[in-house]
Amino acid sequence: MTYKLGISRLDELIGDIKSGTNIMMIGPPISGKDDIANIIAYQGLLDANAAVIVSTREPGNNVLEWFERYNLDVPMDRIGIVDCVTRTLGFGAPDTDNIKMASSPVDLTGIGVKISQFFEHFWMEMHLRETRLCINSLSTILMYSNLQTVFRFLHVFTGRIKAANALGIYVIEEGMHDEKTIVTLKQLFDGMIEIRESEEGYQIRAVGFTPKPTPWFDYEIDGANIVLRG
Amino acid sequence: MIETGIPKLDDYLHGGVPLGKTLVYYAYPGVEGAVFGMQSLCHAISNGISGVYVASSTEPHRIREQFSEFGWDADEYGDRFAIIDAFSGLIGADSHERYVVADPEDTRSLTQCIKNAMEDLREPGVIVFESLSTIMDLCGELETLDAIEEWNQYAMLYDHAMVYNFTAWPYSDDTLLSIKEDIFDSTISVGGITGNVIFGQYFGVLKANWTDAVRKYILFKVLKPGGVRAYIPKILVTGPFDAGKSTFVHALSTRAVSVDRLGTTIALDHGHVDHKGFAADIFGTPGQARFDPIIKLLSGEAMGVFLVLDSTRAEDFARGRQMLEITRSFGLPVVIIANKQDCDGVLTPDDIRGQLDMPETIPVMPAVATTGNGVFEAFETLIDMVMEVG
Repeated sequence: MTYKLGISRLDELIGDIKSGTNIMMIGPPISGKDDIANIIAYQGLLDANAAVIVSTREPGNNVLEWFERYNLDVPMDRIGIVDCVTRTLGFGAPDTDNIKMASSPVDLTGIGVKISQFFEHFWMEMHLRETRLCINSLSTILMYSNLQTVFRFLHVFTGRIKAANALGIYVIEEGMHDEKTIVTLKQLFDGMIEIRESEEGYQIRAVGFTPKPTPWFDYEIDGANIVLRG
Repeated sequence: MIETGIPKLDDYLHGGVPLGKTLVYYAYPGVEGAVFGMQSLCHAISNGISGVYVASSTEPHRIREQFSEFGWDADEYGDRFAIIDAFSGLIGADSHERYVVADPEDTRSLTQCIKNAMEDLREPGVIVFESLSTIMDLCGELETLDAIEEWNQYAMLYDHAMVYNFTAWPYSDDTLLSIKEDIFDSTISVGGITGNVIFGQYFGVLKANWTDAVRKYILFKVLKPGGVRAYIPKILVTGPFDAGKSTFVHALSTRAVSVDRLGTTIALDHGHVDHKGFAADIFGTPGQARFDPIIKLLSGEAMGVFLVLDSTRAEDFARGRQMLEITRSFGLPVVIIANKQDCDGVLTPDDIRGQLDMPETIPVMPAVATTGNGVFEAFETLIDMVMEVG
């Protein structure tokens, strides 16, 4: 059981990602991390995986709209979103098949329950054995809870990713956290997708999957595709 | 005595929580533990007892909505219900609650509000904490443990019952031990049945120092509306034709029925097991290939599986393995029953494991279903696997 990111050049260089892998994606603001995270989830849907997305910055409906915006022909019943935003905006939206509401990004207990419920649903009722979990983003959670609390949460859920043979993607905003925070969190992950600003835009590389990091690639996001150059 | 309102739990606690006593719902991460405290509070208030809810990770208006989703209308409770708002201060939001914690990251600020609320209750009531772990995350482990002792002493003084929701994130071992065993009068474990994912949820009394509590575990589901509901699991018994499945089901069950024709199961066997504090409904499948569609139907929502094999018929083992695949049970706890161990020419459990190419994590246990030998040992093994807490 293996996974691909859906980012062609990186996939060629790092090969298949083994199940149970947890990946930190870190990069500067407005570098397209949300799109990249969604593209990785989209690739999973194309590969008959399920996708669980924990959204801490966008209402769940906006995340669903991303998949609809590009007319992506994906089975929506394989997407589960844990929405940590809508209720903090004062809307009393009920849970739907695709979206489960958490009280707030502080409510790690509630977020954990909702993630577990989606995993159970996909495994038991839909018999899907490959699931991608994307937490977008850890930085928001770290704004409300201290590092130790978030570490404990991640310690449990990176373990659950391994138990479920799933793939975990955790997005972090570069520059929002001190070095100690990043170093502490890195312990929990098996690899990283790094993004940096360049003179011509942004570059991406993968670290930790091969003995050496992949080269940096310039990239452009075109709808639901990411195009690497160089 | 204040009833918890959780199905069966008040029976196990011999009536509920005595006034002045404390109870913690000790929930494992990913399990729906928060509803337990909520349900206890709403049950008490609907029985005419005053209650206070300490909100630490949810805005008060959202809490009222949550109550409503479960079918409990907080507006009907009137003055008998109050919220201590220990959340709004955290996000800088205004609060219109009677009790507002100025600094949710300081236990002294929280303690002052809790004291005020306890004093204001005109008669003994119940104080429920939405999330002790959130308070611990914000205020620190040692500070929170000290504060809990202080709150519990006040509760004893005013004869209020205290109910805490706690999520057992990986805090220090000392903290977890203290919460689980020391500082509360009663601990209710709220856990998950784990395999690759959390397949189901259960609760049970770990301790209660006012009574000789019944130590049974109950599987539950959370319904909206409704709240915590006891849930009876399904355990599947499958295996090739004439392996002894029906006999196994009957040997294990306190009561059982089979749908058969001339002794061959053509639809299902159903039995109810009540053994050492665990109750289970078990469903036996037919063994013949022409009934395979029934097996698929029966296997839905199974929590664990017995694969019964005739230890004298190695030629049927491939069919046994195929039946496991038909039940889609991979990932669920499985125990293989090496049946008919009293017959001549039997293979040992180790031989059977080798022929099936099964990993060591799947037990292969000897049994003689006709006499009942080994069947309950196998049941206990499967229940242990099903109840294993991740």
